[in-house]
Amino acid sequence: MEILTQLWQIICHLFEESGFSKLSWENYVMVGISFVLMYLAIKKQFEPLLLLPIAFGMCLVNLFPGIMGLPTTEMLTEAEMLSKNLDPSTYTTTVYNGVTYYNHIEYGGLFYYLYQGVKLGIYPPLIFLGIGCMTDFGPLIANPKSFILGAAAQVGIFLTFIIATALGIFTPAEAGSIAIIGGADGPTAIFVTTKLAPQLLGPIAVAAYSYMALVPIIQPPIMRLLTTKKERSVVMGQLRPVSKLERILFPIIVVVIVALLLPDAAPLVGMLMLGNLFKESGVVERINKTAQNELMNIITIFLGVTVGATATGKVFLTVQTAGIIGLGLFAFCLATACGVLFGKLMYVFTKGKVNPLIGSAGVSAVPMAARISQKVGQEENPGNFLLMHAMGPNVAGVIGSAVAAGVILSVLGK
Amino acid sequence: MENMMQALILLLAGFLVVFTVLILLIAIVTIYSKIIRVVQSAGEKKKEIRSAEKTENQEKNALRSVTRQEIEDDDGEIPGEIIAVIAAAVDAVYGEKPHRIKSVRKSREKRSSWAKAGALQNTRPF
Repeated sequence: MEILTQLWQIICHLFEESGFSKLSWENYVMVGISFVLMYLAIKKQFEPLLLLPIAFGMCLVNLFPGIMGLPTTEMLTEAEMLSKNLDPSTYTTTVYNGVTYYNHIEYGGLFYYLYQGVKLGIYPPLIFLGIGCMTDFGPLIANPKSFILGAAAQVGIFLTFIIATALGIFTPAEAGSIAIIGGADGPTAIFVTTKLAPQLLGPIAVAAYSYMALVPIIQPPIMRLLTTKKERSVVMGQLRPVSKLERILFPIIVVVIVALLLPDAAPLVGMLMLGNLFKESGVVERINKTAQNELMNIITIFLGVTVGATATGKVFLTVQTAGIIGLGLFAFCLATACGVLFGKLMYVFTKGKVNPLIGSAGVSAVPMAARISQKVGQEENPGNFLLMHAMGPNVAGVIGSAVAAGVILSVLGK
Repeated sequence: MENMMQALILLLAGFLVVFTVLILLIAIVTIYSKIIRVVQSAGEKKKEIRSAEKTENQEKNALRSVTRQEIEDDDGEIPGEIIAVIAAAVDAVYGEKPHRIKSVRKSREKRSSWAKAGALQNTRPF
């Protein structure tokens, strides 16, 4: 009988220690959401490189919140130390009211330490380094007017900022972090949010990457709605070849101008251009390969799981998150629409030489947004190849969103 | 109200800065691209002219060297076929660079091959 009582006590203790007794309903809802995101990443292949680690981090932190736990220092008396089988001679001491306490440090969870790269703004610029190594600025150099389309798409960010502020449920700093989702640039959104509204990092990062993943679903209806069949059928002339010297000078010139005019954008633009210089110089092939493969992959894993781990039930399931999701979608749609409308303006000014569909690629989301311009253009005219023309506004959008982030940080970050 | 004022200021500042920076980049990229293309096209033209001149020189040099070789061959020291091979080898080494073979002489065998290898080994710079 005693054995049965002890067995029951052990079972009760195990249950008390398990997640079943400690987790709230919000955690289970979040685990459910993480399963949906995993499904989208694996089955639908929506931006799986980031969505899968984000979803898994979200799942893990809601099952075991201690994985994001902060390091703590407990002050124990000698008797308490001995009762825990700890050797007092190996600990530092604090004397308080004449009593000697031993400083027993409890280390934080694994994700807490990995998260420092996000919190300190280290991972997003490193992701930009890898993107720079993979980006071909040739189409932009061949047709510099594409920069205008990259700027036009950023209009969505600032208009969303006005609306988010007007709603009254967000502070200006929070509204700025939400608005940057319209840039469709995950690293930039994370970079701005960690500096302006770190408490909203989880919902904003999830919204930003979800909308980037949903580019093929969100953009085409807006593009078709705002353009005529004639405009969509425009075949653009071939781009001129760009010399190696032009390619090498481009990142140097851009970084000098942007860093001087907008120092807050320097970490992002600087790393983007450094990566591109690695690629174009052709003299550091080893570094170039490492930055765009191994380094990029490692940072993506760390960034993904730790950003996902910020989405705990209590933080995520709020009215604010619903607002962020809604405003993020609005910002993204508005950015696409502004890009296409500017594309239409260019169509008029160039007397029909520019296809307005390339304007939607002005949101960053490289190269997905450019591929969508190509796909929608080919639906009207199968012989039309807009991809390289759309890559110009697409990479201009990356620079544009980093510049917009710099403006937001310099105005709201004070 | 204060927040809305700040929002409006950010909206205007944002438009202004983003468009200014990107328009500035358009201007700079356009200008430096043009400069580079002008410089490179001028350089290419010069190269074309030089290579045409070099080809002419090469032909002339080949003719001259063969003439000189034939004169030396008349002395009976080195057979004509050997000189033709040497002229071809020199031409292969110097290629487009202007060159002229002034004389072909037999080298005197002062050291054996082994002695030369030893001397090279000992005098090679670090």
